[in-house]
Amino acid sequence: MIFPDTVIDVDRLTKTYRVADKDPGLVGTFKHFLARKTCDICAVKEVSFSIKAGEMVGFLGANGAGKTTTLKMLCGLICPTSGYVKVAGFSPKSRQSEFLRQITLVMGQKQQLIWDLPPLDSLKLNAAVYGIGPRESRYRINELADMLEIGEELTRPVRKLSLGQRMKAELLASLLHRPSVLFLDEPTLGLDVNAQAKVRAFLSEYNRRTGATVLLTSHYMADITVLCPRVLLIDQGKIFHDGQLDALVESLSPNRQVRLELNQDVSPEAFEAYGELKDCENRVVRLLIPRHQLTEAVTKLLANFDVIDLEVNDQPIDELIGTIFRAGKVK
Amino acid sequence: MKLAGLSYQVARSLLSTQYAYMLEYRAEIALWALSGLLPFIMLSLWSNTQAGLDLGFKGFELSRYFLSAFLVRQFSVVWVVYAFEEDALLGRLSPYLLQPLHPLWRYAASHLAEQATRFPFALCIAGIFFVINPGAFWLPSLWILLLTWLATLMSFTISFLLQSLIAALCFWNEKASALERLLFVPYLFLSGLLAPISSFPPEVRKWSSLTPFPYLIDFPARVLSGLNVDVLGGFCIQILWICILLPLVIVLWRLGVRKYTAMGA
Amino acid sequence: MRRYFDSLKIFWGTALAIQLEYQFNALVELIAMFGSLAGSIFVLSLFFSNGNQLGGWSWEAALTVQGIYTLFDGITNTFLRPNLGAIVNYVREGTLDYVLLKPVDSQFWLSVRTFSPTGLPEIFLGFFLMTWASFSAGANITVGLFFIVAFMLICGLIILYSIWFLIASTTIWFVKTWNATEVLRALLASGRFPVSVYPSSLRFIFTFILPVAFLTTVPAEVLLGNSPTSMISSSLLVAIIFFVLSRLFWLFALRHYTSASS
Repeated sequence: MIFPDTVIDVDRLTKTYRVADKDPGLVGTFKHFLARKTCDICAVKEVSFSIKAGEMVGFLGANGAGKTTTLKMLCGLICPTSGYVKVAGFSPKSRQSEFLRQITLVMGQKQQLIWDLPPLDSLKLNAAVYGIGPRESRYRINELADMLEIGEELTRPVRKLSLGQRMKAELLASLLHRPSVLFLDEPTLGLDVNAQAKVRAFLSEYNRRTGATVLLTSHYMADITVLCPRVLLIDQGKIFHDGQLDALVESLSPNRQVRLELNQDVSPEAFEAYGELKDCENRVVRLLIPRHQLTEAVTKLLANFDVIDLEVNDQPIDELIGTIFRAGKVK
Repeated sequence: MKLAGLSYQVARSLLSTQYAYMLEYRAEIALWALSGLLPFIMLSLWSNTQAGLDLGFKGFELSRYFLSAFLVRQFSVVWVVYAFEEDALLGRLSPYLLQPLHPLWRYAASHLAEQATRFPFALCIAGIFFVINPGAFWLPSLWILLLTWLATLMSFTISFLLQSLIAALCFWNEKASALERLLFVPYLFLSGLLAPISSFPPEVRKWSSLTPFPYLIDFPARVLSGLNVDVLGGFCIQILWICILLPLVIVLWRLGVRKYTAMGA
Repeated sequence: MRRYFDSLKIFWGTALAIQLEYQFNALVELIAMFGSLAGSIFVLSLFFSNGNQLGGWSWEAALTVQGIYTLFDGITNTFLRPNLGAIVNYVREGTLDYVLLKPVDSQFWLSVRTFSPTGLPEIFLGFFLMTWASFSAGANITVGLFFIVAFMLICGLIILYSIWFLIASTTIWFVKTWNATEVLRALLASGRFPVSVYPSSLRFIFTFILPVAFLTTVPAEVLLGNSPTSMISSSLLVAIIFFVLSRLFWLFALRHYTSASS
């Protein structure tokens, strides 16, 4: 069922690749030279989801999980082997001009800016290609440059810019035509924490101002936790989770971690009634306590022991996701 | 024993990895081999015109000359400047400079490995040439083959040193690589690739013999095709050019590296 | 259409801006150009030693062919090589993705994205040599004939472009074989000489398979009055065939790219 405000609709999308198979070393090279072996690899398996206008969705997965392939199928750079895709009302693979004006793709590891020239020249080029007049493009460049907090960098050759400045300029170039659907493939790759935070802030601001739909992949958990209320978790070409990030965390780790620092020596057994004991050393105790019992348990702990310090936190999300990918499935 | 960081073990592993790498690019190398067809086009012109007959080549000597020129060219192609430029651009140069091995050895190994990969393709093209032109077939003696191999190796060394000289200049100014274009022009016209040096007017022949170019193609090709040639004199001049270029390259390269590291790479 | 025109202006403006950063290269290119023209004329002159003729072509007539070849070589260095030679980089670096996502025709983008002004003097020099040599050869050039030859040269350019683009398109499959264009360049060098000088088998190839003849020899013959002006129709026909072929092949290559790339 497609709702009118569904911008991206994907149904049982599948992509299989044929790849060459070569043993390493000289012998392998010779063998490959004589007889090429190939095998089919299923990069994306029957993936289905839909995204509404204005949503910011994070695409999570290990390397080679199929994130980029899916993203490229959504913008029409790869033809699906089977399945149904509709983006902004268009079928991406025919790459009609009207469709291309609606979308943009930013790849953290590839650049479209002209290396030897200032970004402004690349921006002019994009303006011409998208048919944006000089006044209008100047206005848009100023607006975006303000949001991105870049100015004079635009008149310096790209090769002289830092990675963070370059990424900002890339974003500017990719957004000049005011796309309503943004595909971002690791936009913060290689940036320092500060620059990452700036790119994040910009994306969230852009989404708020223009109501654009954003689909983003990233290795950095912070990108996802800050920007995307909804995540798609993909592993080995399949979607394992589609929904709230909080819900994912809840379902993955129903416990909270409580760390106590005591002013007395206590035997570890004394804590077993409160929750699962993780470790107990030098008067420092770590416990896992189910969320719904947390308040009650903490009250009791404080009443029964001489506590110097108490800390409650979630299991770190990177760790959680890591556990899922290692386990290969989600409950 | 080590020579600028090169020992037997290093040379062996360098050559074998480079050979495996080049095998990966065999399709590309086959095309490079094909792109050296120019001598055959020139042969069809020379053998079809009166000027060609006036050259004084008997029977199939002209065909053999151009086939030999093709083969010599195949095994003396050098692209050091391009490799150097790419390494500098992709930031591979700095780590190379840190290694206890002169970067030029690396390039030399990749050239030799490429020649080994190219060998079957060049033989194939020569085979096709003989099928089309059965009368031109000849089997040079082992002695001639040995001499040709030596002359071609020297020709390769001279080209290699010439380009290394330009590459060394790139330490001062990256745009120096454009000089390679300038080097190619006299190479193309004076090496004997397009016309045997004996077809040149005496004046041009005299002046060109003062440059290294005729000794890059014409001399080895004449040796291989069994034409009348001053073998000893040719070798002496090849060695002379190597003796002139080698110290220049070594010194310039060392100064260049010093300059490069001073700039903060 | 206007959008395409505006894009073109910006394309070439940026190309010029990049080039201005490399004046030294421009100087080297200029010297190399004069050197290689001198070398070509020198090799050509070898065929005319001892009062010989080159397959029925006089020295001036052969120079006309050389002039047209230089003209095309200039166009190659100015437009074809910078653009079509860069296609492989687009594929290798994955930036072809960005080109495909722009709302302009990808073949247009890849074919005219940049130009190298250092090739321009060669175009003028070639044009000058062609005109001067054909006058010296005693050609009776009328305004009508001039336009006919100009049109044939444009057809020749389309043929050259189409073949080159066709070969450059194969990089979509074999990223590594970018030097296929080098093979093409080597074969095109045969256009320095009138096609009638070659043995019949090569003449066949250079006329029907790799129509080098239509680039230099045919226009030169028409210019010199040795061929009827009606040759213009065969030039046009060959140009149309090759252009359509290159277009279809590109669309085919793109289908492959989008179903396999990563």
